[in-house]
Amino acid sequence: MSFFTTLFPQDDFALFGVILGMPLLGALVNGIWGKRLGKAAVRVMAVTTVVVSFVCSVIVLLALAHWVDATGHQEGGKTVHDHVRVTWTLWQWMHTNGGRSGGSIPIDVKFSVDALSAMMMLIITGIGSLIHLYATAYMAEDKSFHRFFCYLNLFIFAMLILVMADNLPVLFVGWEGVGLCSYLLIGFWYEKDANAAAGKKAFIANRVGDFGLLCAMFLLAHFTGALDWNGIESNAAQLVDPPVDALRIHLWPLGGGRYEGWASFLQPNNPLTISAATATGLALLLGCTGKSAQIPLYTWLPDAMAGPTPVSALIHAATMVTAGVYLVCRLHFVFLLSPFVMMVVALVGAFTAFYAATIALVQYDIKKVLAYSTVSQLGFMFLGVGVGAFSAGFFHVFTHAFFKACLFLGAGSVIHAMHKRVHDDDKAQDMRNMGGLRKYMPWTYRTFAVSTAAIIGVPFLSGFFSKDEIMYRAYIDRLSSPMFERLKHEGNAPFTPPAWIFTLLFAVAVAAATMTAFYMCRCFFLTFWGDFRGWTIGRPSLLAKIDEDEPGEEDLSIPAYPPHESPWQMTVPLIVLATGAAVAGILNMGLFHVTPIDHWLEPVFESASKAAVKENPSPSAGALLPFGLGAFVVGSYAAYYLYVERKGAAEQEYIKAATRFTQAMTGILFIAIGAVLWGVVPWAVGGYPRYIVCGGFGAIGAYLIMSYVYVGLDKLYDETAVSLIDALADTSAQFDRYFIDGVIAKLTAFVVAAAGTVLRAAQNGVVHLYAAIMVVGVAAIGWFFVIPHADASVAAKGSDFTVTTGASGGYLGYAFEWAQCEPDKKVWQKEWDAAMQVDDAKKRATEQRRVVEDLVAKHARCEAPGDKWTAVNKETVARDGTKDSFGDVPEITLHLEADSDAIVEEARPVRLRARNVFSPALRNYAASTTVYVPRPAKVTSIEVGQNQ
Amino acid sequence: MIPIEYYVALSAILFAVGGVGFLVRRNVLSVLMSIELMLNGVNLAFVAFNRAATHNHAGQLFAFFLIAAEAAEVAVGLAIVISLFRIKRTVRTDEADLLRN
Amino acid sequence: MSAASMIYFYVCAAMALGGAIWTVAARNPIRGAMGLMTTILAVAGLFLALHAHFLAAIQLIVYAGAIVVLFLFVIMLLGPSATSSRDHRGRITRTVSGGLFLVLSTAALYLVVRPSWNHAYKLPPYPSDFGTIDAMGRVLFTDYVVPFELSSALLMIAVVAAVAVARGKHKSDAVSGASREEPS
Repeated sequence: MSFFTTLFPQDDFALFGVILGMPLLGALVNGIWGKRLGKAAVRVMAVTTVVVSFVCSVIVLLALAHWVDATGHQEGGKTVHDHVRVTWTLWQWMHTNGGRSGGSIPIDVKFSVDALSAMMMLIITGIGSLIHLYATAYMAEDKSFHRFFCYLNLFIFAMLILVMADNLPVLFVGWEGVGLCSYLLIGFWYEKDANAAAGKKAFIANRVGDFGLLCAMFLLAHFTGALDWNGIESNAAQLVDPPVDALRIHLWPLGGGRYEGWASFLQPNNPLTISAATATGLALLLGCTGKSAQIPLYTWLPDAMAGPTPVSALIHAATMVTAGVYLVCRLHFVFLLSPFVMMVVALVGAFTAFYAATIALVQYDIKKVLAYSTVSQLGFMFLGVGVGAFSAGFFHVFTHAFFKACLFLGAGSVIHAMHKRVHDDDKAQDMRNMGGLRKYMPWTYRTFAVSTAAIIGVPFLSGFFSKDEIMYRAYIDRLSSPMFERLKHEGNAPFTPPAWIFTLLFAVAVAAATMTAFYMCRCFFLTFWGDFRGWTIGRPSLLAKIDEDEPGEEDLSIPAYPPHESPWQMTVPLIVLATGAAVAGILNMGLFHVTPIDHWLEPVFESASKAAVKENPSPSAGALLPFGLGAFVVGSYAAYYLYVERKGAAEQEYIKAATRFTQAMTGILFIAIGAVLWGVVPWAVGGYPRYIVCGGFGAIGAYLIMSYVYVGLDKLYDETAVSLIDALADTSAQFDRYFIDGVIAKLTAFVVAAAGTVLRAAQNGVVHLYAAIMVVGVAAIGWFFVIPHADASVAAKGSDFTVTTGASGGYLGYAFEWAQCEPDKKVWQKEWDAAMQVDDAKKRATEQRRVVEDLVAKHARCEAPGDKWTAVNKETVARDGTKDSFGDVPEITLHLEADSDAIVEEARPVRLRARNVFSPALRNYAASTTVYVPRPAKVTSIEVGQNQ
Repeated sequence: MIPIEYYVALSAILFAVGGVGFLVRRNVLSVLMSIELMLNGVNLAFVAFNRAATHNHAGQLFAFFLIAAEAAEVAVGLAIVISLFRIKRTVRTDEADLLRN
Repeated sequence: MSAASMIYFYVCAAMALGGAIWTVAARNPIRGAMGLMTTILAVAGLFLALHAHFLAAIQLIVYAGAIVVLFLFVIMLLGPSATSSRDHRGRITRTVSGGLFLVLSTAALYLVVRPSWNHAYKLPPYPSDFGTIDAMGRVLFTDYVVPFELSSALLMIAVVAAVAVARGKHKSDAVSGASREEPS
């Protein structure tokens, strides 16, 4: 290990280049030469690159552990470690301006790995390599074999960029990259329209979320003045502190204005503002709901099952959809600043878990069951991080990756076997055509069983420890921090969620867990137990033509060989993953207080554990255990009873009842949202908005329930947003055909032809005509350099600001004028003109000075109260026109003495006015520009010479 | 001593005369010679400024390379004149209108 | 000392200006070439006054000795048709552009000259080997060796280009006066 730590220092860990570069190399080689290289080479290339990345990730983990150990020190009787990051900087990408003082924010292409990222990297590369191996057998007969592995490797590359990024822009690159790969892989078999449409849906839903992430980036850059993790963490307090009205985001009235005149009915009694932390958190949440398929942007995930099963396993179970949870964990210090957002996150997670579970109850397609199960489990993860249990939520990511990937791969194995005989895609995945497969596919059966047991929470398997920990923490965690105490003292108490929310969360989580147990067991029993319903098993008749059947019309009564177990490339990953699903729980047994993963992630979530989360004196984990166990027992027994004992006889009634329940769920969801908004949001505004918003939600929900029409969220979107866009598109098409093509195109054609005839006269081929035109051009450029430009820049040094102009050949006179508001232009002009009429040069200088001072005095009402601007070097304010001013760069230094109570608002404009006194004819030629002199951020602590 | 501004002014005048000649004359050979004049003016300016800033020889060397480049230009330019004459039997610029339209 | 250098400067300047105007105004291109020669000689003299010995020598050798001679060769080759007849077509375009350029140049001249109207820029002392062949040679082959090599490449390209452009398609394509009388 010391070999690696000496070879790669902690701040220049170049092994990241190998980790990132190998999948990229694989993608490039497979994409460009894959077809020529042949399947064997593509297979080897793809799997090897990811395995190498995995080995290097393990090395990174060990090196990181080594460094973390080295920082161990005693604190309060326990050994604590520092938050260690291993970084690698590639190049400086760009920089932008932001933060309170408008300073420059450098954005580098920089990667950093800490405990959290290291775990994610292991998941991505480890499970990724298993899935790559699996896919070599699953996609063996596909004609675009190389393209598949190109995209798969590209996905690993993009995902690694996402988790290894050190700042938000680089993370965004990875974020978009995985969105792109998801689109490419979902629509892999693009010849079928449905697959392509599913890919588009995924990308567009992601995009809506990306808008949220971008807004969050802008807010963070503006308020904290940093975009990398270290910077945001150290400046995060600036999102809520100081709690002045000017720094909050004004929601209503929009932008902080006032509605006057005819719009005054819109003016609320108290303006509705939210803190910057809340706005950032909500924007980030929007991004995470898009990527991690939560309400309201989850609709792409079930459709994404149109892609090949390894894709579903990798992207939509283990890695991409957990990017949202990763982001929340990564920026946990921002989320913690706003209890409101934490509550929203937890509520969104809990409701999604419940809602998706209800939909999964009635699915027949095995992959759709697993897809909704993924959405539901992601809801659990969000619930976990929403109540402040970051490492518990993340541990669920870890275990979920194992058992969900195993479930998907198992489903793929089953589908692979079914496809041999049933060529129709939908029929091959329909559980009604399966059954009794435990006889024919033993290994798949065993691993699927273990993973199902894990997901439903059978005691001592991994899912038991992670899910029950989340449910426990949902019940007992409360958020508090020293900063909130201080704000409370100052009279700006942050939002406190009502106590019944936590009980509600716990109840919803238990209900979701029960339903999870039920539908997973249903899936398991329908697929593997009972009798095989697919086709007749027997020796295939040599006379029967099986393979030439039309898909969808094949005659499944013709006997064929039974479904067979999958090749070793598929079963070995299954076994590995199932073992992981079974034993991974050991890593974090909250119940028995043996929590190595919590300990490992402790430095990362320092602000969460130290300052933010305070637990209520409340029941111990053991007391709440019966609920979790009860959920599992009730759900699985119900499924067992329905499917095994009664042999699915009551299936029809069950489906009818469950379908009705699911249909009503959307309505209930809307009503629930309305109720929560009513009770929870601090409606400090005049009465109407509360009634309108909550009443609206309630009305929609009631309508949906009443009508029993299955208006799932999907169809709702279809009927509102999509049809709106369709109508818009229709209108545009008509407009385009008649107006644009008919009129505008003809008109522009005529204009262009006429202009061409005119311009052709200049192309007579005579050289000196061309030369003449060139001279005219040169003259124009020369004129541009001769006329005066008023160009100035500001250099700030504490409370002294130096305003400097650029030199130009055109002007010999200029003056500076400063005021906060726009002075009356006519007055300015007149006085300035009068001042410049004086012929005597000396007198002119004094005149200019007088004019400037007068203007300042006259417009004193525009100054901020208590502000006093003075010019330090007053003698350079006005220049004497007769002195040579070429080569001397004119500048003026302004000094600000500010009132200590003044609120920080906009910067102060300083106007530079330049005159051309080149010749009497050009005397009236003047130009003016305004530069903005920034004001120091914290007005009470100005020190001269300190750079703000 | 002669002030540098005199040299610079002289170079500007040379350049102006050459430029006017380039724009006014129609005989292509006169045009080429006017270009020479302009370049001479420029060279003079370079050397004059180098005299005003003697810490290195940049100005003179630049003039040196200008002479070289300009010699190349003249050679090729005159070759083009010969070709033009061969085709059109004239040295007048306004009859060299093969690029018309 | 000062008076001598003033006279020297004014004489060279007058020669340069006179030669320039002669070049531009002469109708016969051979007269124009003579004007060019005068200007070049005058400028070489000015180079000497500015302590650019190497450059003055190069100016004389390359400009006066090669380029003007090349001009004369081509003019002789073209023969009597080298002189263009007096013709007033396109006079307006040419006058306007020439006048505009003159105005621009005057304005630029004013911009340059006006700041130092009252006082002149003090010339700094020069090192003893300033502008000599020694110093220039040294710099040419150390700091500026890349442009040096590039310009030699440029000259070779120019030679090849000139030959290629002026050669024409047929070997028997004579230029002076004779029309092609080959049987088709």
